[in-house]
Amino acid sequence: MANNIFYDIYIIMKKDLTEFMRIRARLVTMILLPIILIVLFGYMFPSTGSITHISIAVVNQDQSQAGLNIVSQFISSAQSSGLFNVISMGSLSSAQNQLVSGNVYAIIIFHQGLGQQLRSSGTATVQVIIDQANPSLDAAIQGELTQIFSSLRLSATLASASSSQVTPIYQGLIPQTSNTIEFLAPGLIAMTTILAGLSGLAMTFSREKELGTLDGLLMTPISRLSIILGKGFAQVVRGLASGVLVFILAMILFGVHIYGSIWLMALVLTLGILAFTGMGIIATSFVSDQESAQLIMMMIQFPMIFLSGALYPVIQLPSWLRIISDILPLTYVISAFRSVMLLNAPFSAISGDVYILLIFTLVVFAIALPLFQRTVTK
Amino acid sequence: MSIVTENLTKTFNGLVAVNGVSLKVTKGTIFGLLGPNGAGKSTFLRMICTVLRPTSGHGSIEGFDIVNDTNEVRKTIGVVQEKLLLYPTLTAIENLEFFGRLYGIRGKPLREKAEALIEEVKLTSVKDRPVGTYSTGMRQRINLVRALIHDPKVIILDEPTNGLDPQSVRWVRDYVKRLKERNLTVLVTTHDMHEAEELMDELAIMDRGGVLAVGRTADLKRSQDVATIEDLFLKLTGRELRDEVSSRLKRRGW
Ligand SMILES: Nc1ncnc2c1ncn2[C@@H]1O[C@H](COP(=O)(O)OP(=O)(O)O)[C@@H](O)[C@H]1O
Ligand SMILES: [Mg+2]
Repeated sequence: MANNIFYDIYIIMKKDLTEFMRIRARLVTMILLPIILIVLFGYMFPSTGSITHISIAVVNQDQSQAGLNIVSQFISSAQSSGLFNVISMGSLSSAQNQLVSGNVYAIIIFHQGLGQQLRSSGTATVQVIIDQANPSLDAAIQGELTQIFSSLRLSATLASASSSQVTPIYQGLIPQTSNTIEFLAPGLIAMTTILAGLSGLAMTFSREKELGTLDGLLMTPISRLSIILGKGFAQVVRGLASGVLVFILAMILFGVHIYGSIWLMALVLTLGILAFTGMGIIATSFVSDQESAQLIMMMIQFPMIFLSGALYPVIQLPSWLRIISDILPLTYVISAFRSVMLLNAPFSAISGDVYILLIFTLVVFAIALPLFQRTVTK
Repeated sequence: MSIVTENLTKTFNGLVAVNGVSLKVTKGTIFGLLGPNGAGKSTFLRMICTVLRPTSGHGSIEGFDIVNDTNEVRKTIGVVQEKLLLYPTLTAIENLEFFGRLYGIRGKPLREKAEALIEEVKLTSVKDRPVGTYSTGMRQRINLVRALIHDPKVIILDEPTNGLDPQSVRWVRDYVKRLKERNLTVLVTTHDMHEAEELMDELAIMDRGGVLAVGRTADLKRSQDVATIEDLFLKLTGRELRDEVSSRLKRRGW
């Protein structure tokens, strides 16, 4: 009759999920909440805030004197506008890596022979690749870049008499044109699944305490760890299920697509849910009644919803709020999740976010386990 | 001896809930803990059931230490608490099988055991209904056999007849007697002196966390020269066993 911890975890998880499926009110909330959110946000455009110091990459493939002059004039003009922070990149591929990782929002490519072409015909084009993940930001960047290009005084630079004009040609990283909901969908999926985890696990514990069944679990010869992990994984399964639900809705209603790996997305979400279930245990172990627990959850949830970049880009926030946003774990989940889903980011591009989440989850559980132990046996 | 405690004590933030309780329970007997609400009965039981850690003192069940050999103790005891140890949304069979698995029982033996227990309490016809839909008496019957799924040697019951209708009370008391016939050790708490009178081989009278008297029920009454357990309690504490409010409520038909 030796107990196997994985089996115990599975049994607890299955029991929690069966209970969950049978309590109609909870099941309905799980289905309704995503529908309400996706409909609300799907038809609502995020407002374009004032953009400042957005990082863009410049790749110069035209090393002729004329080419160098054009590029340096563009850079100084873009920098002095205060809108952009221009980074010169040696190659297109390294610039693309930066774009996928979210370090720059656009790449401007000055083709070989650009100076030559301008001098001979008076017009030329530069290619601009834009991170389409956020349409409002996308539009703002396009508008500003077009203006900067049209204001360049190229005739002086090229020492030509006729007026010369460089036109930017915009192109997305994803071939299709994006819409607002494409930006919102990953944030909504991540947010609904993960925030449910925050209160979910703590709530099943207080429910079992009230029912009296927690004592029943504690009196069986299984470890405390398998109880907490079994319940934690039940939340993960539930969270992933509601994530799939939001995605299907977004797909049917708004034509949202997944461009990246589903497994990477699931990995990011699983880590996020586990981290948040642990946070929920910590938050509730300091209060004795369920009402205060709910209040604490609200206090954690609300700022996170607005500062994590789920609903509008973090880059639109003032810098002091951006610092807070950088501390919030939901920010990492959402940025990694969005990069994978929309930009097909490979693991290497989101590994930083994943490691931060992993460490965060481990630390949270290292704190939550003894707290849980203390609360149940005190 | 089946259950032994020495100076078992539990304090909650300065409140002494159980104060140095030393008891010995003989194998195959029904041992009763009698005391008013708040006497510390449940807290004492939760300590020997390994749910609460004693503040001080020792205890063992069938030779296993309640602090150091928790897993062995947990396999040895079957517990019926004041609150039902059942999930209302799960069926009777699901509840029994869930707990059985946590005790390491699997597959066909588990199913057969669960079905036999359900049959024993005559609930086979409703075994696939969520126990939340059962009447209070039916729930308590399932709750009792749930504690037996892993064939424990010692059964611990915390006020098992509290809040039941007279018919169910009768049934539970008869069932507890049958457990003794199977040579199980039974430790049961109550605040009902009739129950104490009828069921217990031995009795410990508890009040305010401490034990006032222990012994065979008949010996206790004889030594204090009283006719009933209620008189015994009155003599030991100077108070009625049932507190005023609950007896007044009862008189009004609650
Ligand atoms: N978890 C707990 N935290 C704080 N006080 C408690 C706790 N459990 C019981 N008590 C207190 O300990 C005392 C004994 O309670 P209890 O053991 O439930 O008595 P009984 O079961 O005899 O009615 C009561 O005063 C009760 O309020
Ligand atoms: Mg009690």
